[in-house]
Amino acid sequence: MAKVLIVDDSRTSRKILRGILEENGHEVVDEAVDGQDGVKKFQALKPDVVTMDITMPVLDGMEALKMIKALSADTKVIMVTAAGQKGKMIDCIKLGADEFLTKPFDKEEIISVINKLS
Amino acid sequence: MFDHIFGKYLVQAGKLTQDSLEEVIKYESSVRVKLGTIAVAEKLMTDKQAEEVNQLQAVMDKRFGDIAVEKGYLTDDQVGQLLKKQGNAYMIFVQTLIDHNIMTMDEVEASLKDYQETQGFTESDMRDLMSGDIERIVRLFLPANTELHDRLCGVAIRTLIRLINSSAYVSKAFLTDRIDADNFAMQAMKGDHAIVSGFAGCGNSLLAIANPFAEEEFDTVDLDALDAVGEFTNCINGLFASELSKENVDEDMLPPEFYDHPVSISGKQFCVFPIHIDCNVINFIMTIDSELTVQ
Repeated sequence: MAKVLIVDDSRTSRKILRGILEENGHEVVDEAVDGQDGVKKFQALKPDVVTMDITMPVLDGMEALKMIKALSADTKVIMVTAAGQKGKMIDCIKLGADEFLTKPFDKEEIISVINKLS
Repeated sequence: MFDHIFGKYLVQAGKLTQDSLEEVIKYESSVRVKLGTIAVAEKLMTDKQAEEVNQLQAVMDKRFGDIAVEKGYLTDDQVGQLLKKQGNAYMIFVQTLIDHNIMTMDEVEASLKDYQETQGFTESDMRDLMSGDIERIVRLFLPANTELHDRLCGVAIRTLIRLINSSAYVSKAFLTDRIDADNFAMQAMKGDHAIVSGFAGCGNSLLAIANPFAEEEFDTVDLDALDAVGEFTNCINGLFASELSKENVDEDMLPPEFYDHPVSISGKQFCVFPIHIDCNVINFIMTIDSELTVQ
C-alpha cells in the first residue's frame, strides 16, 4: 500500500481522489493546493507516490514535477490531466512523469495505476 | 431531451398540468413504446391505419409490423427503422401520455404542430428534435454563430447529461453584451483560439451541478461548490480541447476562476445557453476569440 501526496488546486478533485485511494487501502499523507505547496510537503513527508495536477496556479504541475524529480528521481509522480492536454503529456514524460490519470476520474484506472507503481 | 422540452411546452400551452407532466416522467421508465405510436409520429401511417392494425392484432397471432406490411402500410425496412426507435425518449413520452389517458395521439399531433409553428421549426428540425441525438437537438437552440460555438455547446450538454443529470434540457440560447449572475464558475483556454466558458447561476441553482459532480450535499453556492462547478467545466473544456487537437488546433487550459458573489458578465455578443436541471435554470456562458469581463 502506498503513501500518497495529492497535489491539486481543486478541493473537489482532492476529495474524490482521497476517497478512492483510502477506500482501496492507500494512505493519503497530505494534500497540497498548488505546485509550490506540493514541493514543500513532498520534502517534509517523503511520500512513495505523488499525484500532480498539471493546471494549477502559483506553480504548475510541470514545474513541480521537475523540482520533485530533481530532489528524488525514484519518487513516482502521476500527472493528473484533463482530456486534451496531449502536448503537455509529452513534455511531462520528458520531465520524468511515471504515469497519467485523466479527469473526470475513473476509479478502476486510478487503482490500476497506483497499484502498478507501488 | 425533446420529451422534456415538449412536456414543458404542453404545460405552458395549458394542455397538461405540471403534476401530470411529473407523473408521465415518473412512469416513462416502465413504458414500452408501441410500433403504431411511432409509425404515426413518424407520419408513416395515419392514426386510423394504426388503430386498424391494432384491432387486427387483437384477433390475429401476428406482430404489428407484420400486419402493417401485409396491409401495405409499411415496408420491411420501415418496420426495421421503427423498431430501432422504440427506446427513443420522445416516443416513450408520447406512449406514456396515451397509456395514462392524458392525451390522445391526435391531441399530441395537434400540439406538436402548434409547437412547431410557435417555434418556427421546419419539418427537418422536427425530425432532429425527435431523433434523440443531442448534437442535432442542441444546434436548433443556438443562435447563428460559428461552428466552434456549436461544437463546444454540444460537448457541454452531452457531458452534462452523462455526468450530472440525464433529464437536463435546453431552451433557446441568445447573444448578449451583458448578463448578471449571483455566482459564476468559469475557465479560460488559450492557444489557437481564446475561449472562455462557464456556468452562471441565480440563488442556489448551481448546486444542481456541484452536488452530483462532487457527490456532496452543499447547502449554498460557496467557493467549495463553485470549485466543483469549475472542475466540471474543466472536464468539458478538456474534452473539447481533445476534439480540437485531432484537427491540430492547440488549446491550453488555465485554472478555473470562481465568483461567489453577484457579478456582471460583459463582452461583445457572447452566447448564453439556458440549461434546465430539475427546477433550476443555469446559464452556460461561452465566448470564442472575444473578450469577457467579469465585475
